[in-house]
Amino acid sequence: MSGGVQRSLDLARRVFARKGALLSILYLAAIALVAMLARWVVPFDPVAQNLMSTLEPPSTAHWFGTDELGRDIMTRVVYGARTSLLTASGAVIIAGTIGVPVGLVAGFFGGWRDAVLMRIVDVLLSLPGILFAMALIAVLGRSQLAALVAVGITGIPSFARITRAQVLSLRKRDFVMAVEALGGSSAYNMFRTVLPNSWSPILVQIVILSSIAILLEAALAFLGVGIPPPTPSWGEMLRTGKSYLYDAPYYAVLPGIVLTLTILSLDTLGRTLAWVLEDRHELAEEAAPDRMVP
Amino acid sequence: MTGYIIRRILQLLPVLLIASAGIWAMIYAVPGTPIGAIVGENATPEQIQAAIQRVGLDQPVLVQFWAWLKSAVLGDLGRSIHSRDPVLDLIMLRVPATLQLGLSATLVGLILGIPVAVISALYPGSWIDRSLSGWSALALGVPTFWLGILLILLFAVQLRWLPSASTYVSVFDSPLGALRNTFLPALTLGVYVSGIFARFLRASLLSELKADYVRTARSKGLKERDVVGRHVLRNALLPFVTVVGLMMAAFIGGTVVTEAVFTYPGIGRLLIQAINQRDYPLIQGVILFVLVAHVLINLMVDVLYAYIDPRIDYS
Repeated sequence: MSGGVQRSLDLARRVFARKGALLSILYLAAIALVAMLARWVVPFDPVAQNLMSTLEPPSTAHWFGTDELGRDIMTRVVYGARTSLLTASGAVIIAGTIGVPVGLVAGFFGGWRDAVLMRIVDVLLSLPGILFAMALIAVLGRSQLAALVAVGITGIPSFARITRAQVLSLRKRDFVMAVEALGGSSAYNMFRTVLPNSWSPILVQIVILSSIAILLEAALAFLGVGIPPPTPSWGEMLRTGKSYLYDAPYYAVLPGIVLTLTILSLDTLGRTLAWVLEDRHELAEEAAPDRMVP
Repeated sequence: MTGYIIRRILQLLPVLLIASAGIWAMIYAVPGTPIGAIVGENATPEQIQAAIQRVGLDQPVLVQFWAWLKSAVLGDLGRSIHSRDPVLDLIMLRVPATLQLGLSATLVGLILGIPVAVISALYPGSWIDRSLSGWSALALGVPTFWLGILLILLFAVQLRWLPSASTYVSVFDSPLGALRNTFLPALTLGVYVSGIFARFLRASLLSELKADYVRTARSKGLKERDVVGRHVLRNALLPFVTVVGLMMAAFIGGTVVTEAVFTYPGIGRLLIQAINQRDYPLIQGVILFVLVAHVLINLMVDVLYAYIDPRIDYS
């Protein structure tokens, strides 16, 4: 266990040594902290309307101004961070708990299991991710849970493929063969031998998928099919703000800055991790076609 | 080669079959009765009867799926609940708009992306490489819907040069009108794909630059620009064609967010309308159309790649 702690500390030191990654971590930590302590950070209620003060420009009272219902935009950005972070964690959990075992089984056993599982993954990839999510929401109805599930399922293929590739590279290694020869069960071998040696690409994928999930959730809300109002969501704010570009340009611009910085930070962190952990310097090229959001 | 194509098609069939079964099953998963999902809750008895005839709702499930699949393959995707028009007609009306946007965005992406990649690869690790890589990261990280809003604020609200909402004007009818209406959405999407193009091509160029033939070319005294222009770029462009093709496949239907920013009337907006109106035959039709187009373009890209790179043996 102490070896694990040592390794984690070592990893953290190497990541922190890179300026971009350090800034990204600081920004993400600030967003997470503010989201958790929202009630103490911002003095307003995110959903209470005040029709006496609608679309007010930024001021000392309302740093980001107010929206069309007189709600403080900065407050909604802070609570919107909760929505984003919850969606990201939920989606990663859904995608990981399904995608990682699928990749493990497909890569470990090969043969018909591999063929069947990978064809199913191909089905998930046969549509651009955002359309897949929209189709799911069309069936499930528009709700917070539907958005979460849709974003999560869209992330399954990348976990499955990356885990499978990692397992294939480990499958014939001596320590895996040894467990097999000693009579260790396949399940033991997969989860206790192969999986613990596959964590670095999975960790990188968790960070990348968090970024994709936040972007996808915002995009769905922007399209009007994501988390329903009045729950604050950055994408929903951009959607409404777009209607007031002439009267209140700050409305769509300021929440967009926070969203963009979040995505950029997660991307930077993901690239740094890939670099430090696996010496994979060309990670973005592999991940890019999967993430198509436009 | 022919064998390879046939094998790829055989591999695709189960994927298409499972995916279309999923799309078909939508009408059973949504609230209400399946017949309501097909013709709408306030359809006339004749419409209900016609739909029952067409998909055989009184038949066993597999027979129903087969009937639906058969009419879909023959181009009959049913009628929109909202407008009562055939779904395929509604989709076909939007295809030119989506194609025009997708192709112009790809063009913008290439114009922005290729120079970035070439300059970066010529001076790897330099400050110019680092700033261009930063640009690519920015292009990929900025959400298209926010970039679109910023462009509208600049070009429509501040400068008043371009309309804030775009319509579809065919480039063949009015090149200038097409430019006015397609420029902003194409730039928005183009900036994003330029990030993908630049990163991919840079990596591809750098790996080619390490090849032996480059050392030979240099050692025989060839100028660096000839080494890159004549030898390296040609070889690096091979895998790059695949990425450009994949992006074009993703643009069929995948431009939904950008279309929403500029209210551009492409396939993506048709889908959003359909979802908002709970027009299930239209939703199914659009998704099935995008699925088939996406899968077929991907197949074409693979085949094209095998064709243009004779080093790859697929037998």
